Amino acid sequence: MSAGWRKSITFRLTLLFAAVSTTVLLLLGLLVGTLVERHFEELDMELLTGKIELLQSALRKVDSNRGIDALSAKLDESLVGHHGLAVAVLSAEGRTLYATAGAQFPDDIRTRAKRGLTSVWTDAANRSYRGVFAEARIGDASLAPTVVAVSTELSHHQHFMYSFKQALWSVMAAAALLTGLLGWFAARRGLAPLREIRQRAAEITAARLDQRLPVDAIPAELAEVAATLNEMLARLQDSFRRLSDFSSDLAHELRTPVANLLTQTQVTLSRSRTLAEYNDVLASNVEEFERLSRMIADMLLLAKSDNDLIVPHREPVDLPAEIRGLAEFYDALLDEKGIRLSCAGAGLVSGDRLMLRRALSNLLSNAIRHTPAGGHIAIRVATDEAALTLSVENSGLTIPQQHLPRLFDRFYRVDASRRRFGEGAGLGLAITRSIARAHGGDASVRSERGLTTFEIRLPLRP
Amino acid sequence: MKILVVEDEPKTGSYLHQGLTEAGFVVDLVRDGHDGLHLLLSGSYELAILDVMLPSLDGWQVLQGLRKAGKELPVLFLTARDEVDDRVKGLELGADDYLVKPFAFSELLARVRTLLRRGSRSKEPDTLRAADLEVDLMRRRVVRSGRRIDLTSKEFALLELLLRRQGEVLPRSLIASQVWDMNFDSDTNVIEVAVRRLRAKVDDGFVPKLIHTIRGMGYVLEVAE
Repeated sequence: MSAGWRKSITFRLTLLFAAVSTTVLLLLGLLVGTLVERHFEELDMELLTGKIELLQSALRKVDSNRGIDALSAKLDESLVGHHGLAVAVLSAEGRTLYATAGAQFPDDIRTRAKRGLTSVWTDAANRSYRGVFAEARIGDASLAPTVVAVSTELSHHQHFMYSFKQALWSVMAAAALLTGLLGWFAARRGLAPLREIRQRAAEITAARLDQRLPVDAIPAELAEVAATLNEMLARLQDSFRRLSDFSSDLAHELRTPVANLLTQTQVTLSRSRTLAEYNDVLASNVEEFERLSRMIADMLLLAKSDNDLIVPHREPVDLPAEIRGLAEFYDALLDEKGIRLSCAGAGLVSGDRLMLRRALSNLLSNAIRHTPAGGHIAIRVATDEAALTLSVENSGLTIPQQHLPRLFDRFYRVDASRRRFGEGAGLGLAITRSIARAHGGDASVRSERGLTTFEIRLPLRP
Repeated sequence: MKILVVEDEPKTGSYLHQGLTEAGFVVDLVRDGHDGLHLLLSGSYELAILDVMLPSLDGWQVLQGLRKAGKELPVLFLTARDEVDDRVKGLELGADDYLVKPFAFSELLARVRTLLRRGSRSKEPDTLRAADLEVDLMRRRVVRSGRRIDLTSKEFALLELLLRRQGEVLPRSLIASQVWDMNFDSDTNVIEVAVRRLRAKVDDGFVPKLIHTIRGMGYVLEVAE
């Protein structure tokens, strides 16, 4: 589960969306918070400096010590309704001339006032204040300047900022969650074609290899993948078709001799026979068994070559010498049919002597089989810089063009109904081609104007 | 001539036993490698036929045990696998011959006789005879009833093979390999044609007939009784 989770594109995209939106919202939240705080500070400052100016102008109008006493009542009046606003007026010596009830100021008011400071401080009850300090001249010039201080309590701002930030963060958290969710939804929507491909692929079975993935209906990014998969399917379909053709041919080829054996043996057993008859049946059975056994050995060889399990043992092979040996072997057959055999050319090739001999033997026996009495077979060996070419040409009927490409297929016969005794099972040419291919070469055939030529080409450098 | 067959497959074992007994050999059959090795070391056999895949000890191990004990009797291997490596391994361990299943019984019989003859080859005769047929190996001349018969070199080789192994049925594959050095099954009837042509020269117009076809088995040269 965890591994699948980690690999899921949807999950990754969702995570990415959520991370990006959270970052953006976080920055936005910080910006908004800072701006609001600064705005409050500006409002406070406006209020405080306004009050300072008010005090300074009121003090300028005072012209005696008595006037200061009268000022208190006046100031009380003008400060009504300003909750949280504290005002203090101190004489130059530090005596409090006027103070609103509960006004809390730091001890060093005079120092701060001289510098015209603005400060923020916290009292013992953990309440925060912002204050402005200044000096003020009194109208009577004989009197020393006084110190004025105005402060406002900040708790209502802080309360507001607290709930504002709380609201901001919860909205942001919700937004991040929502974008994550939307991201998940978008990713799923975006990846829907992939799921469709998966589903289509899941429907493809050996029996339905003709199915293809829809290349036109899916996004460009995936179309290439789908096209490649389709090509793979086409190759598989072709191989599979060959394999199943081969299996059915094989079943057919095996069924005929087995059916013959079965029938013949059962007929023989149905009543008592003479010794000679039993002998005859057993001997005929042996012939069929031999053919079956040879067919199975050939099939095994071909199966091995299909799986690249045939590894030729390399040695220098003198092909014309091998051909002479085979010509001697087939001499009786050639002579009996009155076929002239000629062999021309020379060539040395690196390969497996036994395999090459078998490939040549198959070509030669095939040629003998299809050459009419009195015909001729010409074997030629030619070498160019890259490869050695051996051709076996025989006179006889021209093979119709449409059969040529399939002649090397297993069990393929030009005339499907023709099968004489002693003829191979139709695997000889397939084996020849397999051997040529195992040597890095190939086999081909052409047939025109009464001459059929089989050719194998073997590279000189494997 | 005593032969030990070590073969665990019951059907193969029993037909080998029957076939070899009928061919005139004294045959013991055991079904596992241990018993096989024990019998070979204690008994007096002239040939062993070993299956490669055996219970308890496989054919290779039996052969190794045998050679380690200094026994030099010929050993013929039977195997279902036709792998070059197997063949090489067998020959390296000192096997004398090797047959891949399925094989023709006549082929096995011919090989067994070859192996048994190998040890006891006496002086090569100059002339081979059967009834009134005479083959002079030195001068390569064939005479029957005083009449000279002309043979091609391969026909001569074929006749020589049949004569040397008079009375033995020689399978086509053995003939192909001994006369033409072709070690594969041809899908043609070339051996049949070659034997027929030889027979036409050697037997036509003469009595008794010497070369016989044993259907399903091969060819034999013998003077019919």
